[in-house]
Amino acid sequence: MSLFRVLTLFFITGLSVQAFSQDPKIISGEVMDVSNSEPLIGANVYWEGKSESGVVTDLNGKFELELVDLPNRLIISYVGFERSIRVINPKDAERPIRFFLKPEEMSLDEIIIQERKPDEQLKNLEMGKSTVPIETIKNIPALFGEVDLFRSLQLLPGVQTAGEGTTGLFVRGGSADQNLVQLDGAPVYNASHFFGIFSVFNPDGLKSVDLYKGNMPASFGGRAASLIDVSLREGNNQQIRGEGGIGSISSRLTIDGPLFGKNSTFILSGRRTYADIFLGLSSDEAIRNNKLNFHDLSGKVSFILGDRDKISISSYEGSDFLGLDEAFGLGWTNWVTAVNWNRVSSEKYYFDLQGYHSRYNYSVEFDDPETGFEWSNKLSESGLKAVWTFLPDDQTQLNWGIHSQYYNFAPIDLDPSPGSAIESIVTNPKNGLLNNIFVSGNYEFSPKLSAEAGLRWGLFNQVGKGVDYLYEDGLPGPEVEIIDSLNYGTLENMQFYQGLEPRIAFRYRVNDLFSIKTAYNRNFQYIQIASNSSAGLPIDRWILSGRYIAPVKSDQISLGLFHNFDQNRWELSIEGYYKDLDNVIDLRNGAQVLFTDQVETELLAGRGWAYGTEFLLRKNIGKTTGWLAYTWSRAWREIEGVSKNEPYNPRFDRPHDVTLVLNHEFSSSWSAGLTFVHTTGQAVSYPVGSYLVDNQSVPLYSEFRNLDRFPDYHRMDASVTWKNADKGRKWRGSWNFSIYNLYGRKNPFAYEFRQIYNDDITFDAGSDGEIFSSRPGVVMTYLFTFLPSITYNFQF
Amino acid sequence: MHRFVWILLAVFTWSCQEEVTLPLGTKSELVPTIEGFWTDQGIYNEVKFTLSKDYYDSTEVVVVTDAEVFITSPGTDKVIPFVYLSGTKSYKPQNPLDKAVIGERYQLNIRWGENVYVSDGLMLEPPIVDSVTWRFEEERLFRDEGYYIKVYGRIPFEEDNNYRIRVIENDTLKNQREDYLLFDDTFGLTFFEEGLELGYTFEEKDRVRLELFRLNRDAFDYLNQLVNLLFSDGGLFSPPPQNPDTNIRVVSGNPEVLGYFAVTPVLSRSLVIQAKYD
Repeated sequence: MSLFRVLTLFFITGLSVQAFSQDPKIISGEVMDVSNSEPLIGANVYWEGKSESGVVTDLNGKFELELVDLPNRLIISYVGFERSIRVINPKDAERPIRFFLKPEEMSLDEIIIQERKPDEQLKNLEMGKSTVPIETIKNIPALFGEVDLFRSLQLLPGVQTAGEGTTGLFVRGGSADQNLVQLDGAPVYNASHFFGIFSVFNPDGLKSVDLYKGNMPASFGGRAASLIDVSLREGNNQQIRGEGGIGSISSRLTIDGPLFGKNSTFILSGRRTYADIFLGLSSDEAIRNNKLNFHDLSGKVSFILGDRDKISISSYEGSDFLGLDEAFGLGWTNWVTAVNWNRVSSEKYYFDLQGYHSRYNYSVEFDDPETGFEWSNKLSESGLKAVWTFLPDDQTQLNWGIHSQYYNFAPIDLDPSPGSAIESIVTNPKNGLLNNIFVSGNYEFSPKLSAEAGLRWGLFNQVGKGVDYLYEDGLPGPEVEIIDSLNYGTLENMQFYQGLEPRIAFRYRVNDLFSIKTAYNRNFQYIQIASNSSAGLPIDRWILSGRYIAPVKSDQISLGLFHNFDQNRWELSIEGYYKDLDNVIDLRNGAQVLFTDQVETELLAGRGWAYGTEFLLRKNIGKTTGWLAYTWSRAWREIEGVSKNEPYNPRFDRPHDVTLVLNHEFSSSWSAGLTFVHTTGQAVSYPVGSYLVDNQSVPLYSEFRNLDRFPDYHRMDASVTWKNADKGRKWRGSWNFSIYNLYGRKNPFAYEFRQIYNDDITFDAGSDGEIFSSRPGVVMTYLFTFLPSITYNFQF
Repeated sequence: MHRFVWILLAVFTWSCQEEVTLPLGTKSELVPTIEGFWTDQGIYNEVKFTLSKDYYDSTEVVVVTDAEVFITSPGTDKVIPFVYLSGTKSYKPQNPLDKAVIGERYQLNIRWGENVYVSDGLMLEPPIVDSVTWRFEEERLFRDEGYYIKVYGRIPFEEDNNYRIRVIENDTLKNQREDYLLFDDTFGLTFFEEGLELGYTFEEKDRVRLELFRLNRDAFDYLNQLVNLLFSDGGLFSPPPQNPDTNIRVVSGNPEVLGYFAVTPVLSRSLVIQAKYD
C-alpha cells in the first residue's frame, strides 16, 4: 500500500471516528428499506416494554434514543415492513447502528407460493401445465441439501423418475430425450451434473419454471413429451444484493443489482462442488488422486431502452469433471447463450425476437503410453425466433411467428496419443435445419367458453456436409452390406421431412369454482438419443432424423376437471390423457453406437403409447402449503426386434404414484418441509433360469422384456429451516437441516444376478483366493439411506 | 462407461449392497443350450449340449446325451459324425483326426427328439503370432503391479477381424467377466503389431497358456453380448438384460435354443513366467 493510500485511509478513519463519536447516554442510528437502502421516515424505535418512550425516525431515517440499562432489546417497526428486534450491548451503543427493514410483501412470497391469480387454473386454457414457484422448490427437503429443480418436478403428477437419486424426467410416458429443457429460450442438451444426480440449475438464479406436459403452445415445439421452460431472473435496479449458501457438498453465490443506472441490471450466479476436498482427505492414495467436481455459472444483463423496448442477454456455462489418478479424465460442458428483445409496439401489438446458441461437448482422455487417446464430441443448436402478438380486443389474442433452428452434431473424434497403438476414428458430421412457422389464437366466446387453436408447421432438412450409406435391399442392418455411399456438400439437402402440428384447447367454466378443459396436441421431434439405458450418460449419442430415421410423432388428447374451493385457497384438478408415439427408437442387442458412422444399423424403431389420470390437490395460501398428487398411468412400447415384437413396458412405467409435499411456517423463525413418495417399482427383467455356457453360469432371461417389477418405492424426506430473528441487519442468514430418506428405506437401485462365492458377496473370484463354494444369488444395491445434510443460506 | 458411474457412486453416495432373495419366474420347459467348437485342432473340437435350469438351482446342469450330432460341409457330401463321451460330458468327432480346413464352410447339425438345430460358419485363416513376452510392471491406472504378458503378431486381413484370446493360468481358465479378451478392428490393429498387453497380472512361475481364436462375426457378437450381460448390474445405466443372440437356428421343434457355434482356427502358446526377463 502506498504512503498516500495509508495516509488517506488514516485521515478518513480519523474523521469517521470523530464524526460518529456520540453522547454515551444516547443511542443513534438509521433505519432503511433493505430492498433499496432508502431511509424510512417515521419508523418507530423503542426499547422492549417501553414503547411509550420511543422515538420516530426523521426525514433522513435517523433517530436518537435515550439509553437504558444494557444489554436490552431495541425494537424497530414500520407499517408495511417486518418488525426488527436486536439485542443491544454496551459496545453496540458506542456507534450509530443501521437497521434494514424487510418489506412485508417480500416475506409473503414464501407463504403465497402461487405466482398467479388465485383462480387462474379455472380461467386459463392451459392443461398439463405445472408451475412450481422457486420459493417452493427451495423449501422442499433436498438430497445432500442441494435444492434441485428437476428433483422437485419429479414430485408433480405425471412425472416419473428413472430411479433413486437421478434427475431424469419421464413425462406422461415419454422418454428422457423427449423433454425440451430450455433456459431463457435456449435448449440445454445435458441438464445434469454428476451423471444425473443433480440438475444444472442453481435455484438462486432462477425466476420461474414452467412444465408443459405435452400441451405446449404453438410457439414451442420440437420435443414429443414436455417442455421445461426455465427463466433466469433479472437483477434488481436499486442496489447490489446477494444471496447464497454453504452446503454439504457445494456452495453458491448470486449477486444482482443495477448495471449502468436504473435502466439496466445484471445478475451473476455461480455454484461449485467441493467433493474433491473429501476425496483429498482419504487415506487411500488411489482415492486421493481422483478429481470429482462440477460448477455452473450463469448471468443475465437486461437493458430497458425507452418505454417500449427491452433487451436481455443470458448465458449459462456448466461443467463436470471426473479424473482418476491423473491418467483418466472425463469432462462435459454445457454453454448456452440467449439474446431476447421484447418490444411493445402499441397497446395491442407486441414483438419478441430471440436468438440463441447452445453447445454441449464432452471429452475423454486416457493418458497411457501404449493405448492413450483423446476422444471428444460436441453438438450445438443455434436458433432465431420471432413472435408477434396482437390483442385486438379483450376477448382475442393472436400470436404468429417463425422459428429457425440449425443443428450441428460434430463428428466423433478419437485421436490416439503420441506413440499410442490405437488408430484414430472420425465419423461424418450430421447437420439439420428446422424451420417452423406457427400461428395461434385465443378467443373468449363468453365468460364461460373460451378456445385456443394453433398450428405449427415444421420443415426439416437434414443437410450436408454429410454422408449417407446405401445398403443392399435398401434397409440398414449390422450384417447388411453397404453398396454405395453418397457425399453431400455444405447445406446440400440430404433428407426432407415436414409435419403439421395442430394444437386445440377448450375451456368451459361451469361456475366460479369449476371448469372443464380439453386439449389435443401434436408434436414432431427430429432429434433423439440412441440409447436404451434408462439414465442418461454424458457420452450419449444424439442422432438426427435422416434417410433411415424418421422423426418421432406424438399425439396427445387430454380432458381435465378443475375445481377451486375455500376462497381459492385450495385447488383440485383431475386430468386424463392418452398419448400416441410413432417412430421411437431402441437399440438392437449388443448395439455399439458410440464410434460407428452407420449408427442406423444399430437402431430399431417402433411405436409407443401412454395413458393415465392425474389427481392433484394443492394448497397455495396460508402457513401450511403443499400438494397431494396421485397418478395412475401406463406406458407402452412396441418395437420390432424387441420383446418378440410384443408390447412391453419401459422401465419408467410405474402405474401408481403418490406424492405428498408439505411446508409449514411455525413462526417467522421456524419452518419445516416434508415430502413423501410412494410409487410402483420399476419395470425390469429378472432371470427365469440359468444355463451353462463358456464354463460359467449365465442368467437366462425371458424373451419378453420387463415382465417383472422392483418392489414399491417409498421414501420420506424432512427438513427444518431456522431463520435468525430479524435484527434489522443487512445480512440475513438461515440454517436448513434436511434428512433424505427419513426412515431409511432400502429402495433398490439395482439387482445383480451373479454367482456368489464362499457365501460372501464381496468375494472376488479373480483375486481373493481359493473358492470353496459357488452358488447363484441376487445382490441388491441401494443408495441414500437416512442421509442428513446441513446448509447455511444467506442474503445481503 | 457405466463402470465409471459405479466408481462415482461408490465414492460419493454411500451405496450399500446386500444379498436378497427375490421370487423369480421359471421356464415351463428347460431350454436346450448348445456350445459347439469346430477348429483346426482336434483337441478343441466338441459340442456341449445341456439344458437350462431354475435360477436358484445350484445343482449341475442336465447334460443331453442322446442327441445326434454331426458336421457337414455344404456343397460336399462330407459328414463328420460326433459321439457322446461321458468323460468330457460332450460330443466329440468319431474320428479324432477330423478337423476344420481353412476356407471351408461347415454346418453343425443336431437332432434331439423332435428338435432339429443347425448353425454354420466359415473356417478363416489364422493371424500370425510372432512372439509372446512378459515383464514386470509397476502399478498403473486400472492395472495392478505384477507380470504382464504381451502378444506380438500381424493381422494381414481386411475383414473378418474378430478375435478372442483365452488365457489358462496354472490349468485354470480365466473366465470371470473381466477376463474376456475380445477385440476387433474398430480401433485398428496396429496395437497387435506393437504388442497387445493382456490385462491380467501374473506371478513368477505361473504357467500360462494363451489361445487365440479368429471368429466369425456372429460368434464374436455372441461373446460380446455375453460379456455385456455378465456386466449388467440391473441398474439404470445398463441396457435391459437380454440373452445373447444365438447363431443356432431351430429347424423344427421347441423354438428356443441358447448358445453358439464357433468355427475358428486356434493359435496357442505356452510359457512360464520367470523373473529373468525383468
